[in-house]
Amino acid sequence: MSARSRRVERRPAVAVAVTVVFFAWLYLPIAAVVLFSFNSVKSLSTFRGFSTRWYADFVHDADLVTSLVASIGIAAVSAVGALVLGTMLALGLSRIRSRTGRAVGAVTLLPLVTPEIVTGVAALLLFTGVGLKLSLVTVTLAEITFSIAYVTVIVRGRLAAMSTEVEEAARDLGCTPWQALRLVTLPTLVPALLGAGLLVFALVFDDFVLAFFTTGVSPQPLPVRIYSSIRFGVSPAINAVGTVMLVLSALVMVLALIVPRLWGRKSSSLDLITGA
Amino acid sequence: MTALDPTTAQLPAQPKGGTPRSGQHTRLWAALLALPTGWMVAFFLSSMVIVVLLSFGRTQADGQPVFSTRLDNYAQLWDPLYLRLFLRSVSYAVATTAICAVLAYPVAYVVALHGGRRKNLLIAAIVVPFFASYLIRMYAWSALLSDDGLVNSLIVRLHLGGGVQFLNTPYAVIGGLVYGYVVFMILPVYAALERMDTSLIEAGKDLYHGPWRTFWSVTLPATRAGLFGGVLLVFLPALGDFVSAQLLGGPKTFMIGNLIQQQFLEGQNWPLGSAMTVAMMIGLTVIMVGYLRATATRSREAS
Amino acid sequence: MSLLHHTSDDAGLATAAPAVSLRGLTKSFGRDTVVDHLDLDIGKGEFFSLLGPSGCGKTTTLRMIAGFSDPSEGSIMVGGKNVTATPPHRRDVNTVFQSYALFEHLDVRGNVGFGLRRKGIDRRAIGQRVGEALELVQLADRAGSRPAELSGGQRQRVALARALVNRPQVLLLDEPLAALDLKLRRAMQVELKAIQREVDITFLFVTHDQDEALSMSDRIAIMNNGVIEQCGRPEDVYESPTSVFAAGFIGTSNLMPGTYADGSVAVCDGLRIPVPAGHGLGGGEQVSVAVRPEKIWLSELTPDMVRVPGTVVSSSYHGATTQYLVAIAPEVTLTVLEQNLPRMSPEDRWTPGSRVELGWLPEHAVLLR
Ligand SMILES: Nc1ncnc2c1ncn2[C@@H]1O[C@H](COP(=O)(O)OP(=O)(O)O)[C@@H](O)[C@H]1O
Ligand SMILES: [Mg+2]
Repeated sequence: MSARSRRVERRPAVAVAVTVVFFAWLYLPIAAVVLFSFNSVKSLSTFRGFSTRWYADFVHDADLVTSLVASIGIAAVSAVGALVLGTMLALGLSRIRSRTGRAVGAVTLLPLVTPEIVTGVAALLLFTGVGLKLSLVTVTLAEITFSIAYVTVIVRGRLAAMSTEVEEAARDLGCTPWQALRLVTLPTLVPALLGAGLLVFALVFDDFVLAFFTTGVSPQPLPVRIYSSIRFGVSPAINAVGTVMLVLSALVMVLALIVPRLWGRKSSSLDLITGA
Repeated sequence: MTALDPTTAQLPAQPKGGTPRSGQHTRLWAALLALPTGWMVAFFLSSMVIVVLLSFGRTQADGQPVFSTRLDNYAQLWDPLYLRLFLRSVSYAVATTAICAVLAYPVAYVVALHGGRRKNLLIAAIVVPFFASYLIRMYAWSALLSDDGLVNSLIVRLHLGGGVQFLNTPYAVIGGLVYGYVVFMILPVYAALERMDTSLIEAGKDLYHGPWRTFWSVTLPATRAGLFGGVLLVFLPALGDFVSAQLLGGPKTFMIGNLIQQQFLEGQNWPLGSAMTVAMMIGLTVIMVGYLRATATRSREAS
Repeated sequence: MSLLHHTSDDAGLATAAPAVSLRGLTKSFGRDTVVDHLDLDIGKGEFFSLLGPSGCGKTTTLRMIAGFSDPSEGSIMVGGKNVTATPPHRRDVNTVFQSYALFEHLDVRGNVGFGLRRKGIDRRAIGQRVGEALELVQLADRAGSRPAELSGGQRQRVALARALVNRPQVLLLDEPLAALDLKLRRAMQVELKAIQREVDITFLFVTHDQDEALSMSDRIAIMNNGVIEQCGRPEDVYESPTSVFAAGFIGTSNLMPGTYADGSVAVCDGLRIPVPAGHGLGGGEQVSVAVRPEKIWLSELTPDMVRVPGTVVSSSYHGATTQYLVAIAPEVTLTVLEQNLPRMSPEDRWTPGSRVELGWLPEHAVLLR
């Protein structure tokens, strides 16, 4: 027995080393951004002492704050919109057995395998083609379109794990189809829905490419704002904005992973993300 | 038993009026599908159609793009400059995918099979930063690797050399792509390893001796589906990426994404940009179909 | 507990009508006919089992009665009312699902009260009836638990209470005990039967476990390939199977195929087995004789028995019984089950190779066509 477990222990020494290096590599740039956002001087290579001056700069930059608020708004509206549409889609697809239904299902998953730049270009052409003025609204429309597939995948995963007998049990106990959906299926899906909504919020809040193609001149979503600043040269103020973005989206992601667990169910969006 | 006689009370096989009479209430589901399907048609499919149409269009003298039926844009693409750029993009994406696979296996393996109770925590630790701002993470690398950045100042201070130019090199661009997308390789490989019966590895060790041979003959085949999925998930976004080349590279390392982006937001030649987009999608589709064919036969042979 | 009984007014009107009656009930999936012209009447208050191997169409039948699946042909009556075209939520039938199908987002109380709330019964009455139902299944102390916190047996009881509390005309149970381990299953069989007697609701119970069906049912229908092979009381079905399938599926049976002539069946050269009269055969027909293992004696044979010589092939000791395989012809081996009675010592058991004489009473041999 001891010989066996020793063999299992000894085996992945190389792999363990790679993993440790991987985690260091993963967090090094993030840690640097956070660290230098508190630097008291402008340097990006020497830390001279703690200060919050770059955060003060950020807070007093009305443009940046407007962008931050705009990004939060876009993310929230997109999360709700994608959640509603994606859930309807998932429910419909999981139950309909016709060929048309399956074709629709395949088409709705296309955004997942389309490079984002293509979606962005296409959205830009569509909006200008129909004469919609580029603005935060067009960004939101594009983000919803792009996010529906994520919600659909997550909710379908949960639906697949849910026995169809549960819905039948509701029908058996006196529910019309609509009541069964409202009183049993949707409440059962709540943890998955919360997870999916938070995930979409985090993705949209951070999303750069789609926003870049579909935004108007002002106000711009935060990532687009940051991008233009970076192009004019690296500034420590960006570190402060970046830290705020990282913290916000990390918080939302952690919530997306934890909330479904708090609901007392074992599955979380983590399992859905990993497919395990 | 007159009125209640079941034989006389028998109904025709088809329900009256076609109302759903059982649990298969197809109508409700169809109604649910209508709105999102309409949305996807209005905002996604139609936008794709416009791209294809405009790729045959032209730019007017006043700079306005208009629809037309000419092949000029595609003819213009048949230029060694663009072809070189396309090949460069593909080779960067392939390199990115390969590095991601090599990196993902040990990490996923350690987390899945030796993560113990901290397994979920470790996966979350991998996932959370990846879903946190791609742009900020690319920016972080550009700051770290810049000529007066932290890495170079350390190299100088530790007397390892006189400073290295990282930015504007293919290594930086590919490194950025790997950093950006490796999670899409780790997750499916991790899921496959999780599902794998670990006694297979035990048996493999007895049979083949040595971890490498066990890996090649047991672990890799058993997790093939995860690897194949991960390859797709990394290759697709890597090929279309332009942020990494923009922030970590330069004109010498530009990819298709940068070119397309320029046509739309700098050069203002939308029809040409559309043709590039369509060409990229065609190239991608060809590569994907070839890849899916190859992996499908592989999977069939394996089983 | 009396509240769980049917009130007499709804029973009074349709006393003559069976609780469930199926006429020509058929279900086809494409070209597969899975349930084939089923005719069946189940009486009020009966514990009726549908017994058959996996895939024979039991679940499909139940789903049609519950309304989840449309029959391809035929009709379904519940309590004298034709419900063939009635959607599930308007059928006076409730189901205990094999997977239990509990509502994970509700606690035990919420699950059990779900059907009553849909009927718009006032909250006090719901509370009282839920309480009674939980008493009945001995779960009163878990009323506030989520299904995820319950054991398999407890979840099963919740599923049962959730269906019973609605006092349906018929309760459909699809292999409700299949997911439980053997010991718990035995205990639940006894309990389920007691509950059924107490609430006096018609149970249509689906199982592939013959012991379960025999020990619990008032009547059993043996189903095979979408048709009912035999229907009757457990002892009739067991003692007098009417088909080779029924004889083989319920209990173990020794089947001896042969040709009928003059009151006996020629199993092979020199071995003729007498069978009881009254079958109306002329002679020359291919038939089988079936004898249950426990009906065959190896010692203390009486003069009125059919006697056949044989050789013990193997013996295995099962505690209360000993099982022998005895060859009576080159191709024919019979299973014999002998009680290990107190007066028997281990030396009394036959050893392989022993020459023995088998005997059974003529009426215990069943002739099957
Ligand atoms: N929806 C369906 N489509 C096609 N075949 C089905 C469907 N449902 C059941 N069947 C088939 O009908 C047969 C009977 O199934 P079922 O009633 O579940 O059997 P049982 O409950 O007796 O095990 C099986 O062969 C099964 O494959
Ligand atoms: Mg079944």
